[in-house]
Amino acid sequence: MKLLARTGFWLLVIVIAFFALFPFYYAIISSFRTGSALFSVAYWPETFDLSNYFAVFERQPFGRNILNSIIVSGSVVVLSLALGITAAYAFGRIAFRGRSLMLMTILAVSMFPQVAVLAGMFELIRSFGLYNTLPGLILANLMLTLPFTIWVLTTFMRELPKEIEEAAFVDGATPWIVVRRVFLPLMAPAAVTTGLLAFIVSWNEFLFALTFTLTNERRTVPPAIALMSGSTAYELPWGTIMAGSVIVTIPIIVLVLVFQRKIVAGLTAGAVKG
Amino acid sequence: MADVVLKNVQKSFGRVKIIHGVDLDIRDGEFVVFVGPSGCGKSTLLRLIAGLEDITAGELFIDGERVNDLVPAKRGIAMVFQSYALYPHMNVYDNMAFGLELAKSSKAQIDAKVREAARMLQIDNLLDRKPRQLSGGQRQRVAIGRAIVRDPKVFLFDEPLSNLDAALRVQTRIEIAKLHSDTRATMIYVTHDQVEAMTLADRIVVLNGGRIEQVGTPLDLYHRPANLFVAGFIGSPQMNLIACEVAGVGPDEVLVSLPSGGTLSVPVAPETLQPGEAVTLGVRPDHVRVSPQGSLTGRVELVEELGENHLLYVDMGQGRRLTIREPGDARHEAGSTIALEIDRTSCHLFKASGEALPSRAGSPRPAPSSPDLTRVA
Amino acid sequence: MIMSSAVAQAGVSAQHQARGRSSSLTRSRVRAAWLFIAPSLIVVTLIAGWPLARTIWFSFTDASLNDLSDYKFIGLENYLANYDGEWFGILIEPDWWHSVWNTLWFTVVSVSLETVLGIVVALILNAAFPGRGLMRAVILIPWAIPTIVSAKMWSWMLHDQFGVINDLLLRLGLIAAPVTWTANADTALWAAVMVDVWKHTSFMALLILAALQMLPQDIYEAAKVDGVSPVRVFFRVTLPLIKPALLVAVIFRSLDALRVFDLIYVLTSNSKDTASMSVYARQQLVDFQEVGLGSAASTLIFLIIALVVVITLAAGRVRLGEDPR
Ligand SMILES: Nc1ncnc2c1ncn2[C@@H]1O[C@H](COP(=O)(O)OP(=O)(O)OP(=O)(O)O)[C@@H](O)[C@H]1O
Ligand SMILES: [Mg+2]
Repeated sequence: MKLLARTGFWLLVIVIAFFALFPFYYAIISSFRTGSALFSVAYWPETFDLSNYFAVFERQPFGRNILNSIIVSGSVVVLSLALGITAAYAFGRIAFRGRSLMLMTILAVSMFPQVAVLAGMFELIRSFGLYNTLPGLILANLMLTLPFTIWVLTTFMRELPKEIEEAAFVDGATPWIVVRRVFLPLMAPAAVTTGLLAFIVSWNEFLFALTFTLTNERRTVPPAIALMSGSTAYELPWGTIMAGSVIVTIPIIVLVLVFQRKIVAGLTAGAVKG
Repeated sequence: MADVVLKNVQKSFGRVKIIHGVDLDIRDGEFVVFVGPSGCGKSTLLRLIAGLEDITAGELFIDGERVNDLVPAKRGIAMVFQSYALYPHMNVYDNMAFGLELAKSSKAQIDAKVREAARMLQIDNLLDRKPRQLSGGQRQRVAIGRAIVRDPKVFLFDEPLSNLDAALRVQTRIEIAKLHSDTRATMIYVTHDQVEAMTLADRIVVLNGGRIEQVGTPLDLYHRPANLFVAGFIGSPQMNLIACEVAGVGPDEVLVSLPSGGTLSVPVAPETLQPGEAVTLGVRPDHVRVSPQGSLTGRVELVEELGENHLLYVDMGQGRRLTIREPGDARHEAGSTIALEIDRTSCHLFKASGEALPSRAGSPRPAPSSPDLTRVA
Repeated sequence: MIMSSAVAQAGVSAQHQARGRSSSLTRSRVRAAWLFIAPSLIVVTLIAGWPLARTIWFSFTDASLNDLSDYKFIGLENYLANYDGEWFGILIEPDWWHSVWNTLWFTVVSVSLETVLGIVVALILNAAFPGRGLMRAVILIPWAIPTIVSAKMWSWMLHDQFGVINDLLLRLGLIAAPVTWTANADTALWAAVMVDVWKHTSFMALLILAALQMLPQDIYEAAKVDGVSPVRVFFRVTLPLIKPALLVAVIFRSLDALRVFDLIYVLTSNSKDTASMSVYARQQLVDFQEVGLGSAASTLIFLIIALVVVITLAAGRVRLGEDPR
């Protein structure tokens, strides 16, 4: 009976792990197959052909797309954290009139459907002359990351002991110095967590990137992959698409493996404590 | 060096009033200790003086200057917190230097001050450590060091020793006393611990429910509690409080009839007291003696041996209980019946309002054995 | 860059205030609070509040994408209008209602599946076994992979001719002929659900796991001593205790699923039959350049989601901004 339970348990573990990993595994082996080999199903890696990986960079500016994604996501993370930490200090530790209402509004914004701001955002980005530019995407992505950054950092900020802040005030610190010299170092782990989440959100963003860019050179990775087309309009270049997918997924997987604990902490801080 | 004057200081959190008008005059160089039951507002009062909370009404002067509207750093104070509140990411040196650095002191000046304070507190070998690498006692020294380097006019301590173990508490207490005698700075100190209060204080402020019950020297409070609250709060074990009735009044004494029969003449000024009025008789456990000639009798319920002395809990009938402290080892067992005698000259008498009647017994005699002032929670 | 210098300025003036003579700590902190949130407030207003307001405004106009400055106010005509006894407008548009139905169906089915599977995964991860940390990372991977990439991977796996899933099912004898998973409206939504479950079960599981780990252990020991069966313990003890966290997770996921775009857009190739609300709105806005109609759809989506949010907040499940400092 006990043996049965243990076997069942491990079976379940294996099934879950298989379900979680198989699509990625399959993408990898597909990315190593070309031409007509793709038109048969393979379960095991048979060939190790890198031509799809070369093709993905030759047929379109995929390197440029990756660079765009890095620039956009990196800027979004930096801006969100810079704005978020000061705001989180105010929201998390200072009682002022309207605080709850504003925090509630910010939480509500983080639940906005993206499409609800699409028309207005399009107009805004055009009027700033940012259509089909990376700054335009950065600005748009802030709408996705800033509210939850503020929210998550606020929940972390609340947990820091109040005496440390008071000791700093007695020492002659101003609120700005408290944030910069005392809380910023203490918030570093929380900032890493939140920054990772913001990075992943921005790295994966599709709707804005699809709508606010026009040319292949300005696209980030998600629309670049979504819009990859082959030599004929009817046949999608699956091998290349899988190669591109593998390339952009590997850094994310590394991030997840390295920062697993931090990501989980951020996810649950934003939701459970909220 | 500075005096601290509170004029009708009040504090409300939202609609709840926590401090109900405190008037207090703390002299330059004085060591004042705030005591009182948990939640009475000791910390709040200290934080009002520090400037960490806004004063709702009233005025606060430090060194003659009205400081109601000054931020903590401008008040010339330094504060030591119960939780140490060290900056976890800075080493000991930087923890102590932070305030000076913010005050734009020169590097050399900072270095001199930090090292001197560290030497004084014997933490000069720890300057490179982070707070988490320190023991509780070392952390508290760093916190004190951080206060010292600021050269404050007033030191504020909020239960600085309560996270330390008993031996370290005694040691650090002595160091704080030494710090006071060295610097002659004004110090305000909040504690739960009666020994700390009695040993450190020039004057003790007893707070209750956001009001001052009494201000006085430690012995003043012990020998001449102004009211029932202070009488019950100061001294351990607690003073015996016995509900009585006035049987008669003389010019310098009041005759009370004891609940268990008999009368006792207490040498206090009767003021407007009339026979028949309800009063409370207060007598410390040290001032009740077991004596064959005693007019009171009771049954020993429990004996507690403390070594140098012992406590007897005596049932006086009708659920009334008397605590007695006698020197040496106990000579009576639980269950035995003993006769007791009350030292009438050391008795206190409180009116129904709780106020004490002025004693007419001359200067109080010292207690037979030094009172064991243990911590009351 | 504009923002960071604003923050710096906020700092400078906060410092200035503290040096000022008549400024208590509370007042200087409150002033600092406003300076600290000002940049964020400005940004959020600019990139969320203003665009939303413009979208709502556009929904009352006949604006078109190629010239957003040339439009006229047409009242509620995008929503509902009557010309010569005939009704027009999005509110009687079958395609719109179809997309609403698709979205609701997708949300209910995928969130339900994710909840049940999430509980199972969370219970497994809550047990102590070697490799538990690795397992946690493994289930996080689908969540972290860009939705577009997941959609593409699954499209390939679900390919009607060369897909591994058809191949597998054929070999197992579960189907007689290859299924056109993504091209057929009936199976396409199921395919979308499958990918969504693959991607988001881990999110659900992690939130539930966090709640599980906060449960006091002694109840379980007590139940063990009393000989209560594990299944009973789960339904009688665990489930009621994690219910608040479960609710939060379900709400978060539902709000997310209601605005689904990427997955359906890529997986079912922008088809009308499987469109979600967001796909429909973007199609009007961008593909047909009908900013007025598209904005009307966007506004409706916003209202639907706002309604869900308001109901949730009103139900008091989400505690907000309590006890600062
Ligand atoms: N920020 C605050 N908001 C509301 N009420 C408060 C606040 N700070 C303190 N109080 C209340 O004021 C009262 C006095 O608190 P205070 O901390 O001064 O007590 P204390 O005498 O220091 O107690 P203890 O000995 O337990 O430290 C308590 O009832 C407390 O609940
Ligand atoms: Mg206190």
